[in-house]
Amino acid sequence: MMDTAPMSRRRFITLGARAGAAVAVGGAAAGLVEACASSPTASAGTSAPSGTVAVEIDEGQNASPFQWFNADMNSKFGATTNIVGLPFVGQYEKIVSEMMTRSSVYDVLVFPPQMLGDFVSNGFLTPLSDLGKESDFNLADVLPAYRDPNLRRNGKLYAATYDGDILQMTYRKDIFDAAGITQLPQTWDDYVSLAKELHKPPAQYGNAFLAARGFSYGWFINIFAALGGKWFTPDMKPAINTDQGVQALQTLVNLKQYAPPNILQIGYPELNEAYLNGSTAMVVQWDDLALKAEDPSQSKVVGKNAYAPCPVRSYMLYGRVMAVSAFSKNQQNAYKVIQYMNSSDVSIKDVYDPKAGEDPFRLSHLDPTKVKDHLGTASMPPAQAQSYVSAIKAGLTTGYPELSIPGAPRYLDILDLFVSEALAGSLTPSQALTQAASEWDNITSSLGQDNQVKAYADWVNSFHAAGVSY
Amino acid sequence: MTALARRRSRWSGGRRFALLAVLPATLVLVALSIFPLLYSLRLSFTDQQLLSLLPARFVGLANYAQLLQDRLFWSSLLVTAAFAASVVTVQLGVGLALALALRRMPRYQQFLATLLLIPSILSSSVASFQWRSLFDYSSGPLNFFLGALHLPLLAWTADPRLALPSLILVDFWQWTPFVTLLLLAGLHALPAPVFEAARVDGSTGWQLLRYQTLPLLRRVIAITVILRLIGAFKVFDIIYVLTAGGPGSTTESLAFYNYVQGFRYFSVGYSAAMSYVSVILVIVLARAILGYMERPVGRAAAPDATGEAAV
Repeated sequence: MMDTAPMSRRRFITLGARAGAAVAVGGAAAGLVEACASSPTASAGTSAPSGTVAVEIDEGQNASPFQWFNADMNSKFGATTNIVGLPFVGQYEKIVSEMMTRSSVYDVLVFPPQMLGDFVSNGFLTPLSDLGKESDFNLADVLPAYRDPNLRRNGKLYAATYDGDILQMTYRKDIFDAAGITQLPQTWDDYVSLAKELHKPPAQYGNAFLAARGFSYGWFINIFAALGGKWFTPDMKPAINTDQGVQALQTLVNLKQYAPPNILQIGYPELNEAYLNGSTAMVVQWDDLALKAEDPSQSKVVGKNAYAPCPVRSYMLYGRVMAVSAFSKNQQNAYKVIQYMNSSDVSIKDVYDPKAGEDPFRLSHLDPTKVKDHLGTASMPPAQAQSYVSAIKAGLTTGYPELSIPGAPRYLDILDLFVSEALAGSLTPSQALTQAASEWDNITSSLGQDNQVKAYADWVNSFHAAGVSY
Repeated sequence: MTALARRRSRWSGGRRFALLAVLPATLVLVALSIFPLLYSLRLSFTDQQLLSLLPARFVGLANYAQLLQDRLFWSSLLVTAAFAASVVTVQLGVGLALALALRRMPRYQQFLATLLLIPSILSSSVASFQWRSLFDYSSGPLNFFLGALHLPLLAWTADPRLALPSLILVDFWQWTPFVTLLLLAGLHALPAPVFEAARVDGSTGWQLLRYQTLPLLRRVIAITVILRLIGAFKVFDIIYVLTAGGPGSTTESLAFYNYVQGFRYFSVGYSAAMSYVSVILVIVLARAILGYMERPVGRAAAPDATGEAAV
């Protein structure tokens, strides 16, 4: 007994250690296998219960419409949505990180078309045409600039539009009238002069724009487009470090002196706030600002506003499309949710609601009498609605396309960094754009020069086919 | 003893049990630490890009060579160095002053120490969002007070000259209490007879601090400096929330730039190389600090063989 007792305990501990080791090795191996698995069926994510569709979208106002219509979706086809909100800046890396592990955590992906090239080329999406009929999406009613270039790759329909998006000039009509300004700026030089004239700090700033890291590139491209700039040459040499580029960036730098002192930290909400609190005479901002400007719960300048397209051209910055994840286990319901949200009847309730961030993308949306929130209440007085819709229509006729070839988020992020460097005064516009162009060359090389030349040509052709001048 | 007997002896009893006992932990360590470490070392010699359709190639030391020519790498290194030097110096100085003051207040020490812990136990992200409100140009309390004092308002995180100092201020607020508590613990562990003897010899307060306290405390100081240095090299959350690296790249630290390369551009080969350079830098700095702190500084504080300070 004296011998057996210690032996028995030792054996017990040994067996325990072996079991522990087996669990540890097994767990680690299972994790490794799962992480490395290449089969779409090897999912690392949580699977939603049948009927619940996990929707990835940037959190906040843009997610609201999915929640507004949950009860209706449930009654019509038995599905409800579960929002998986991601930060506005940082959305790309989070989606890619999940999709690289073949995670089924998302059924529907809502993202800007600039990411479409990467997502299609890496097999993250299931074409909508594989799950149903293209006629389900009433594509003839979608504005051409938001249609094929943003939705198709290699001839297949991968996505459906959720949000239009175009930059627009929103200005204080009362201030313009008081200053005797009757002519809106026709060029960016006019715009700078106007900003200078209206700049009376600290009571009133001449203008504001988005200059914080993340989207400052959009305001540069908006001016660059007006000067006739292009993203690349046909053989994928960067075309931003040109005279037009330097002039455009210098113009943006010049505008900084007629802007609020914290301009370099002004992002999307701050830019809205700078206008809505009545401290700024005019801004270039996404078109949904107009709805907020006429909403008494958000604005101190209700009834004092007018809207116009940007000088010369208006950049169709960002936008949102919806697609089905290739790793979703709930693809049919995901498809139904996309079809529902994209439909003319439902989307018209989103795109003019001041509490959402969606913007018109269908021909049928461009009707001033339809400028109502999702409950049917008019979002703004008829005169403002007329000005707003007219500005969108005029902007779309000169719309400038957002880059959406493979690697686009990376090209744009690099551009954003160097635009920010110039705005901060760390580099001159010329130095900033030369360095950005050099980084763009590196990106093109890393993705394959020939692949990129072809992708860019396809992208340009798709906009030409849509009647967009480029 | 035969070879067989020696082998049996080697694998018998407590030795065998000890090996089996450490096996699970070893396997977990290998799977979760050693394997990723070696895997990332291998990655650093490739041009792997997660979203590229081109196959990854072995590029030798090309990623490391590219780092030397990467302006953004150097600027992020400079930002990190300026941030680290500032936070370590200021936090150490103020932390020591607070620890010395607390030591003189035994009645309130526990209460004050508990209060001091609050910033350190907050998540950096949560603290950063609070500071974002505090720094707000038009509605933030900091500018409200400046306005009340008829001072010019400051664009705290928007001014390229102020953005980094603003981040240093946030880090100072969050981590100085932690430094204070570490140093206070160190002060409590100092041998009282040394100070009594010095007082008997007529040492002034300054002399006690300069010739007794600081030399005796230097190991604690070394550990504190190394911990904060590591923290400063890893700083990410407050930058992500407050400035996103801007304006320009004025607040883009090494960790933030590494994140951009690895998780925004998915250039995992390049990012792995940058990680190794960061680790090597921290190790070299930590080693230098330890070496400096352990060098003899005179009879008063030279440790004897038992590790006790000789007086």
